[in-house]
Amino acid sequence: MIKLNYRPSKRLQKIIFAIIIFAIVGAIALYFYSRTYAKSQKVGLPMTAQAFKSISERIVGTLVGMSVSAFIIAFVSLAFQTTTGSRILTPSMIGFDSIFIGTQTVIVFFLGTSTKIFSNVYLNFAITAGAMLIVSMLMYGAVLRNTKNNIVFLLLFGLILSGIIRSGSTYLQTLMDPTKFNQLQAATAVSINSMNAKLAIFLSPFMIVICSIFLIRHRSYNILALGEDNAKNLGLNYLKETNFNLVMISLGMSIATALIGSLTFLGLLAVNITREIFKTNKHFILFLASALIATFALVFGQALTELTEGSVPVTVIIDAIGCSYMFYLILKENKKL
Amino acid sequence: MIQIRNIVQSYGREHVLDNISLDIKENAITALIGANGAGKSTLLGVASRLLPVISGEVLLDNINIKSIKTREVAKQIAVLKQTQSLSLKVTINELVEFGRFPHCGGRLKAEDREKIEESIRFMKLNDIRDKFIDELSGGQRQRAFIAMILAQDTKYIFLDEPLNNLDIKYSVEMMHIIRKLVRRLNKTVVVVLHDINFASAYADYIVAMKDGKIINQGSVKEIVCCDVLNNVFDHDFNIIEHDNRRVCLYYGHNSHRHGENSHIHEENKHCAKLTNSTNQQDVLSHDSTREDLKTNKNKMQEFFKFKYFADKFKSKKAASNSNAKKFS
Repeated sequence: MIKLNYRPSKRLQKIIFAIIIFAIVGAIALYFYSRTYAKSQKVGLPMTAQAFKSISERIVGTLVGMSVSAFIIAFVSLAFQTTTGSRILTPSMIGFDSIFIGTQTVIVFFLGTSTKIFSNVYLNFAITAGAMLIVSMLMYGAVLRNTKNNIVFLLLFGLILSGIIRSGSTYLQTLMDPTKFNQLQAATAVSINSMNAKLAIFLSPFMIVICSIFLIRHRSYNILALGEDNAKNLGLNYLKETNFNLVMISLGMSIATALIGSLTFLGLLAVNITREIFKTNKHFILFLASALIATFALVFGQALTELTEGSVPVTVIIDAIGCSYMFYLILKENKKL
Repeated sequence: MIQIRNIVQSYGREHVLDNISLDIKENAITALIGANGAGKSTLLGVASRLLPVISGEVLLDNINIKSIKTREVAKQIAVLKQTQSLSLKVTINELVEFGRFPHCGGRLKAEDREKIEESIRFMKLNDIRDKFIDELSGGQRQRAFIAMILAQDTKYIFLDEPLNNLDIKYSVEMMHIIRKLVRRLNKTVVVVLHDINFASAYADYIVAMKDGKIINQGSVKEIVCCDVLNNVFDHDFNIIEHDNRRVCLYYGHNSHRHGENSHIHEENKHCAKLTNSTNQQDVLSHDSTREDLKTNKNKMQEFFKFKYFADKFKSKKAASNSNAKKFS
């Protein structure tokens, strides 16, 4: 990471933004190339205009889905870090994916695969997102409010809860008949490759609304970052603010998880790289830059995966980098104390 | 005017504050003193709306603080908790800008900028205003946070142990700043202090707390005397008056071994005589005070030396005793 302890000037900030956007454009181009010409060369089939068009349509869907998830993950992670006052925490560490799998399992087990709740993408999403929202709200409400931002306790609570849900759903899965189980498996193993493009496009307006709400409120995040006492002193209604944030975070996380599954370290990585580069507390910049960096990481990683014919899934790459970066952060924080 | 009425505050079953009522003196420094766990910080938190009131009420200009919008309260009351170590990439300038948040919601206007400049100048932070707060020394950081509160431009300022982690020089500087706030800018300051001597030297009014109750309040003269302080801190105090100021010696030389070192008592008497004589002189020359200080210092040193040797002697004696026992 860059060790220099000064902030880039306004001009330099603009240049950095431009570089990131160019990088994203480059990554998108690479992704197009990897899925069209690179693939046609490997398979040995010529790339006709017809084929290109039909593949492009699918690619656009995937790209929309990726950027929706990347934006939401980055925004939500930053908001979560600011609310909890910790740089090494992201909401996905608390185990949203287990809630997602748990809801799907319960639906399939009790209602079967032919029910509309399971087969209708939108309805299914609404139910799972709702479940995630309720569970996470209960969890935050129980832990964060009563024990004054006790982060260790929150992590522990989330870990235990997701453990219980996971083992419960495994138990239900063993009781299922094999065909149901296979269908469930196909539905829960969400990844970028199996992303539902229709759902992604359906969710993009939600993403825009959520992100703009975060952006409009960027000033109060600047204050919130100063900690509870200072925020209260400066006239922020801390309780209201925190609760609102937690609702937004749960909503965002449930959208992202339902779309591309769990990407534990993407948010952490994007937000912290942004902090390192921009060295600022201005959340307007932090929000935008981390969202762009997350998009770049996701698209570029996916392009690499396509080029290597899926030998290394992008989530694995991101989690590997993010995990080592998290170790670095923890060690650094530890040294400070 | 801030009035605190029948506040009862409890964590679990234990009452941290037990039916406290207090009127905060306007235009003065009020020091909250007391032992650890007496409830000073809690009282400060309640009075400054950081902690929600459980029972009782806090009145700001005769209106219950609960019924006023938080933004509006933030224009009247500023509060700074104990020295904070934020690892945020915030410069001093930005931190001071945050102080204007209650007034402008983050969008700075010309008058906000004026206030910011003013408070940065007042706290002498102009040279380092672009430094990040996580690269400042403890004293500088404290000054930066005070500057933020100044920019907030409130009538009331609550400070929770502002001298924590500060060395002597910065502590004195901080107290001078606080006094300047009151005298020059007509603020009302309430401050939790650990060191009774700082309270004695700088406060206008002292509130002494014990076990969640206010057991005494009054001017420095009324509070800084042996009877009151012995009760407040459960400790034997020895108070010296010097240069019209009261200084507390609480390092325990009265309670230790009354019989063994009677000459210390003589010294004390001597000290008392010295201070009496300085009181009688209306005008004190600087040299004489310095000499007094020197002699006092020498005596303290002698005393500590004596104590050291006495302890050493004792431990040696004990060791030889045990050795003798072993041999027999």
